[in-house]
Amino acid sequence: MTAFEPDSGEACSLTEGCVTCGDIALPLTVMSFEGMDALCHDEQGRQETVATELVGPLAIGDRVLVHAGVAIEKLDKPRHQPAGSRR
Amino acid sequence: MRFVDEFRDPELAQVVGAQITALCEPGRHYKIMEVCGGHTHTIYRYGVQDHLPESIELVHGPGCPVCVIPMGRVDDGIAIAQHEDVILTCFGDMMRVPGGTSSFIDANAAGADIRMVYSPLDALRIARQNPDKQVVFYAIGFETTAPSTALTVLRAKQDNLTNFSVFCNHVTIIPAIKAILDSPDLRLDAFLGPGHVSTVIGCRPYDFIARQHGKPLVCAGFEPLDLLQSVYMIMKQLAEGRSEVENQYGRVVDWDGNPRALAVMNDVFALRPYFEWRGLGSISHSALQLSSRYAEFDAELRFDVPGVRVADPKACQCGEVLKGVLKPWECKVFGTACTPETPIGTCMVSSEGACAAYYNYGQYAKQRIHLEV
Repeated sequence: MTAFEPDSGEACSLTEGCVTCGDIALPLTVMSFEGMDALCHDEQGRQETVATELVGPLAIGDRVLVHAGVAIEKLDKPRHQPAGSRR
Repeated sequence: MRFVDEFRDPELAQVVGAQITALCEPGRHYKIMEVCGGHTHTIYRYGVQDHLPESIELVHGPGCPVCVIPMGRVDDGIAIAQHEDVILTCFGDMMRVPGGTSSFIDANAAGADIRMVYSPLDALRIARQNPDKQVVFYAIGFETTAPSTALTVLRAKQDNLTNFSVFCNHVTIIPAIKAILDSPDLRLDAFLGPGHVSTVIGCRPYDFIARQHGKPLVCAGFEPLDLLQSVYMIMKQLAEGRSEVENQYGRVVDWDGNPRALAVMNDVFALRPYFEWRGLGSISHSALQLSSRYAEFDAELRFDVPGVRVADPKACQCGEVLKGVLKPWECKVFGTACTPETPIGTCMVSSEGACAAYYNYGQYAKQRIHLEV
């Protein structure tokens, strides 16, 4: 497994573009916790430490949407989806 | 790949494309703006436009955070970085954005300590590792990124860090959409809403687009079939005479957004009275600054910044491209004086910029052939 290193260019690159600038968010799976951070991995096994304060309680195995090192949404949960705002 | 392959199925894309074509009114031309630069990138990377009938035109919007940074704010960042004891940190695409005199990468080569980070939390780590330096995070981005900056400021306060500050350039998407709707030179039929911004703000803030302006908006995901399905949902609304906010990206976006992220943003940030957007001009209440509760982390208060407005180069037509008035290849310097290696305009810098997306995925050649035929 390899880790996302900020300076490695994997997540943010001069030549390949920047996932953060592109508003790209990645689905990652929680492996373990350290304080408010969670060590997560993606489908290729790459690991990243993720701040979890913005998504509430998590458990190992939960999937989160991660942007700029911060989980911004918990995936696979029931969502409030009313009908559209009909004009 | 799980959760990805099923959204890139070419046969299914053809089926959806045919369903979209069946909804088109003969003789009518449709203009649909994708607000988000991430959508622009997907559209050209995967050739989404090729699955749509010619009567549907996808218009690129202002949702590339790097592209809307005015040149003067780049110069302000360089001025901060030129302090001897400062380490300036920023996201990767910011490094090559041209300012009035140079870019971050030029300033770095000239001796300023400017470092690329993936997360504002990396900037905080650098601050902890360098207690004798002032570490400044050059914050850009829409509501997708602003919560991570806010969380970083909260952690800095919890740790009583005195050598960390934020130069805040965060912008908000709704005022930009309002500015586009008020633009007299652009007629749009509907919007593809920004998926990840909507993860944070939810779908409700777009309601005025449907109710007051009578235009459908569908919050869309970022895979090719997400976008095709979203166009289908828009076309179905138009065919049925409806204008509603709908959510195609329901596997990620909650209708009410992320209340925790919104609360953190409301605590840490305050709206600026006005902010200059490249291409769109000054828009009131469209950007964020640190609130007075977190003034000790505001780099604009900690350092003298020039704050000079710098006019865009005359040859650059990023403004028209950002508003969707011009296609990238219609700009006078596209692909000649302005390339991803030597960008004149911001739209050519970020891979999510409309010009860079066209340049990298061959739309230039395709459109030239199409125009010449």
